[in-house]
Amino acid sequence: MTTRYLLGSLLSAVVTLAGLPVWLVPRAARFWAAWHRDRAGWLLAEPRRPPFPAWPPSPAWLTLPGRPSLRARITRARAADGRTLRAVLWLPVNIVTGLVLGLPALLCVGNIAVAVIATPLWWAFPFEERPRLFIDVPVPDWGTALTLGPLQIGLLLAVARWVLPPPARLHARICTTVLAYETKERLADRVAELTRTRAEVLDAHGAELRRIERDLHDGTQARLVAIAMRLAIARDAFADRPRDDDLLERLIRESHEGIEEAMTELREVIRSVYPPILADRGLDGALAALTAGCGVPVRLALGDVQRIPAAVAAVAYFTVAEALTNVTRHSGAGSADVRAGRTADRLVLMISDDGTGGADERRGSGIAGIRRRVRALDGTAVLDSPAGGPTVVTVELPCGW
Amino acid sequence: MRVVIAEDNVLLSSGLELLLGRAGFQVAAVAVDAAGFLAAVREHRPDVTIVDVRLPPGFSDEGIRAALQARREFPGLPVLVLSQYVEQQYAAELLATSGGGLGYLLKDRVSRVDGFIDALRRVAGGGTAMDPEVIAALVQRAGDPIAALTPREREVLALMAQGLANDTIGQRLTITANAVHKHIGNIFAKLGLAVSDNGHRRVLAVLTYLNAAR
Repeated sequence: MTTRYLLGSLLSAVVTLAGLPVWLVPRAARFWAAWHRDRAGWLLAEPRRPPFPAWPPSPAWLTLPGRPSLRARITRARAADGRTLRAVLWLPVNIVTGLVLGLPALLCVGNIAVAVIATPLWWAFPFEERPRLFIDVPVPDWGTALTLGPLQIGLLLAVARWVLPPPARLHARICTTVLAYETKERLADRVAELTRTRAEVLDAHGAELRRIERDLHDGTQARLVAIAMRLAIARDAFADRPRDDDLLERLIRESHEGIEEAMTELREVIRSVYPPILADRGLDGALAALTAGCGVPVRLALGDVQRIPAAVAAVAYFTVAEALTNVTRHSGAGSADVRAGRTADRLVLMISDDGTGGADERRGSGIAGIRRRVRALDGTAVLDSPAGGPTVVTVELPCGW
Repeated sequence: MRVVIAEDNVLLSSGLELLLGRAGFQVAAVAVDAAGFLAAVREHRPDVTIVDVRLPPGFSDEGIRAALQARREFPGLPVLVLSQYVEQQYAAELLATSGGGLGYLLKDRVSRVDGFIDALRRVAGGGTAMDPEVIAALVQRAGDPIAALTPREREVLALMAQGLANDTIGQRLTITANAVHKHIGNIFAKLGLAVSDNGHRRVLAVLTYLNAAR
């Protein structure tokens, strides 16, 4: 791995040198530098995003209305200026470090290749051009070939294994040090990101409020009006002489049925706003009830899920409920796993199954609903479902601590 | 028949008192929290109790816990739990206590007075009254073994699991009690359960089965 990194660095130094005019274009310089920064970060094992495919682009109603504010654009432009400057200054550094630190790796790999070819094929070369092992030892016979060849391969593999990693790490560290973001830039980036996500959160939250309003307005409220009307007529008709008992009976019966329907609807709305079991049992109890009630056996692994804010717990509950509904309906899975726990300031949920995979968000599975709710809390939701399975839904929700 | 009620909402408890009084029950006490309920049960030794799931001070699942506690103290004490919503989990916890005399219904069902009074009488007599929603969820979850049943057998199973007697099931489905009996025989055979004609033991067998099945 480190050898590959060093060879890449050498190649990159050559490409940087050869394409110097291209890299002086600010955008190209920033891109080239950022790519190397990620690459170095990867070698130094900095935390990276999980290797899941990204979600499809957000639907139109979730995108930012209009352009970002002037101040946000200026902040971002200033941050970009600083980054361009550093990216351009980094170019010569990359050429020098790449060549100096990359060459030993090339020599090492090259000589392994020589030994690999020379050991079985030394006799195929004309006498004067016989391949040389250990730099300058010609191979005259099988005895030398079979001793020195494997020895050279072994020694150089050992070099690659134990000697090359420090220079690789040195290269990566120089790269990240030169390209490291200044605190100011980091903050500017964070502010830009927070501004964007806050707008999205407000939008998503507004959409959620409108949905609840619509459910109550078109459903329960309309029903109550209809019931009140019937009861008003019944009250009126009660005083009629002669009294129409059939009409009264019908009005009261319809009112009764209407109230029952209103109760059912109201229960659904309440459940969609904040599931009662969460209020009763907390997130751990609610998830336990949810997994126990699933159609396929579910293993539940809970980390610390105490003191999760109510809004986060509600979204977590819906996520697991929707994901498990998908597991039962579409996956053909024999079992599923639900994991929930806190890492730093986030609640992380992972729902996986051993089903057939190939879940497609566009085919109206509940995943769009999960994403809508998760976005409303500035969280991330990732679906990984290759054909043939398994399907893994990973959701991270900031808890605001 | 004497009843102890645990319900903190005065509108609901007075409605229940009115309804129970008209049906010939005697309301011995109305408690507004779990401690009051347990005290009232100890004092009055009622024939049946009605418990709201949410009670002060926490308004979470105090009612369920009070009901379980009361049944530990007085094994077989008939308890009908009422709630604005139903959870399989609560049904399972109630069913895990030994003996019959258990009910778990949505508050909505109270407005169907005849059905509610019938359920309360069943519970008082050591029978079972499970909300159709709980049963529907259990049946749906049970999946494969239930799929082997005919649609009619599934209907009978759902009604039987609610705790209804053969003749009531027959009336609901407009078939004879004899036909119900036959269907039940088939259901028990297909699910591999020992046939038992004893009312609530049969229900418990079915509920336990559904509760454990996936």
